[in-house]
Amino acid sequence: MTASCTRLAARSPTPGLLEAVADKLLSGRGIWPAVPAIIALTVVAVIPFIILLSLGFSQIEMERGTIVSQSFTLDYLINALSDPLYWTTFQRSMTLALTTTVLCLVLGYPVAYLYLIGGRWTRRAILILTIAPLLTSGIVRTYAWLVILGGRGVVNTALMQMGLIDRPLRIVNTHVAVLIGMVQIHLPVMILPLIALMARQDRRLEEASYNLGASRLGTLWHVILPMSAPAIGTGTALVFTLSYTTFVVPQLLGGGNYLNAATMIYEQVVYSLEWSKGSVSALILMASCLVVLTLIAMATSRITRWTKGRDA
Amino acid sequence: MKPPRNPALTDRLGIGAMLALAVLSLVILVAPSIIVLMISFDTRAFVSFPPQGFTFDWYRQVFAQDVLVEAMMNSLQVGMAVTILCVLLGVPTALVCVRGRFPGTTALSVYVLVPHMVPGIVLGVAVLFAGALVGIGPSMGLQAISITVFVLAVMVRTVQSRLQRLDASLDEAAANLGATPFQALRTITFPLLMPAIMAGAVFTFIEGFDNISVAIFTHGFRDRPLPIELLAMVQSVNTPLVAAVSGVQILLAILALVAVSFSIGLDGVND
Repeated sequence: MTASCTRLAARSPTPGLLEAVADKLLSGRGIWPAVPAIIALTVVAVIPFIILLSLGFSQIEMERGTIVSQSFTLDYLINALSDPLYWTTFQRSMTLALTTTVLCLVLGYPVAYLYLIGGRWTRRAILILTIAPLLTSGIVRTYAWLVILGGRGVVNTALMQMGLIDRPLRIVNTHVAVLIGMVQIHLPVMILPLIALMARQDRRLEEASYNLGASRLGTLWHVILPMSAPAIGTGTALVFTLSYTTFVVPQLLGGGNYLNAATMIYEQVVYSLEWSKGSVSALILMASCLVVLTLIAMATSRITRWTKGRDA
Repeated sequence: MKPPRNPALTDRLGIGAMLALAVLSLVILVAPSIIVLMISFDTRAFVSFPPQGFTFDWYRQVFAQDVLVEAMMNSLQVGMAVTILCVLLGVPTALVCVRGRFPGTTALSVYVLVPHMVPGIVLGVAVLFAGALVGIGPSMGLQAISITVFVLAVMVRTVQSRLQRLDASLDEAAANLGATPFQALRTITFPLLMPAIMAGAVFTFIEGFDNISVAIFTHGFRDRPLPIELLAMVQSVNTPLVAAVSGVQILLAILALVAVSFSIGLDGVND
């Protein structure tokens, strides 16, 4: 400590004590500058997670707001797992999230391809159209679908003017409406990692493919698609996590009665104040989410290794 | 780059389908916002498409309703608090992650990611319960600090990736010219990091302003933020008023977009 202080003093002609301390603390060589962040993360995230875990697995007796006794129990987990409502709810969330992820990939990948082959202005337009929705509130974007799909909305007006239907179709409050909203909300999250990869892509590989006589479709299938495996992995993981745990779209486009995992947890925690039940639901949500994310990560690394191995 | 001169029919069809899908996706991305903007100027008192007439009345009403103005102010405050906290906590952490000379810098960058990897509602529930156990109820402060922890990773990652691409020899040069580490940091590194910090600030502000998943469990019941207020309003009000509030938010998003493109350039978002 003293040695380093003298070294600092030697370097700067008139070192104020404050500056010497700042040098020591802020140089970024030691861990000190990160300590406030570590404390915040520990106190506001990690410890609460541990508490959540312990709440889900303990029998708590409370008297006048203070905990009297606490003992380990698996009751809440067993109750949850033997409750058919849990299974249907989580299954609904899972199906919705997986469908959303696949549709986002199907709609998002072509945009990334257009970005790859597009010129400067096409690329810029795609970037703006992708980033702008991310900066807009999810509620605003979901509300737009109420307007589009609603009784007097865009779709119904158009269909009625074309004479295809007499009365407005009921689209809002159906599974389809929720799915449409989900895909649109999460599409930018799929596209961003894909175009980030496309921007780094070495285009000489494509050229080589064309020179060897491959068609555009062949090049896309044999060269571009295999190379985008890591980005597809990132995109699907992000979209899955967000759509599996979302709250807004099912609430707004599914009407009040579309129960997915997130809305169920909200009801347990905020309306019925069932803490242990809510904790267990949150833990199941997190655990099942992690399982799918692990599968995605494993598949991605398998495919990446396979394409690399094939090239070698 | 030269694609083959006379592509086969399947090739044309396949690529055509790809490009058609791409255009469809881009329309899906942008159309909803445009439709909401159109509706917000409708003169009728119910939501219907196509809109008729043109009026700023709904926007006037937005700012005449105390509940909405208050909610906007609340969200602005939370957004600014989150941004400031993320800068204060995140920038030094990014510095340590990249320049730290101790074992465990990698562990540190992973640790920062933990809250971000967890679904927002799980973090929200956890913070609500933990707070209640030590007697801290939901409030604007709790909301701000939870969202900060949730999005800190965004700030750290943005600054970190910029820092990794900075030439380390710039710092060495400063040291050789007699600058203390603090002086080097203040006069060399910080100005170079500014664009990344700005971009991180925009994204963390938006998250603080718009976040629902964490906020719905941690916000103060008397200080409802705008998204929560809006969520209730969308379900109960069927006038273009909601569209006008959305219009205000879209304007905010456009400002944010301009801010991002001035700070790191649009292409920088990818890093």
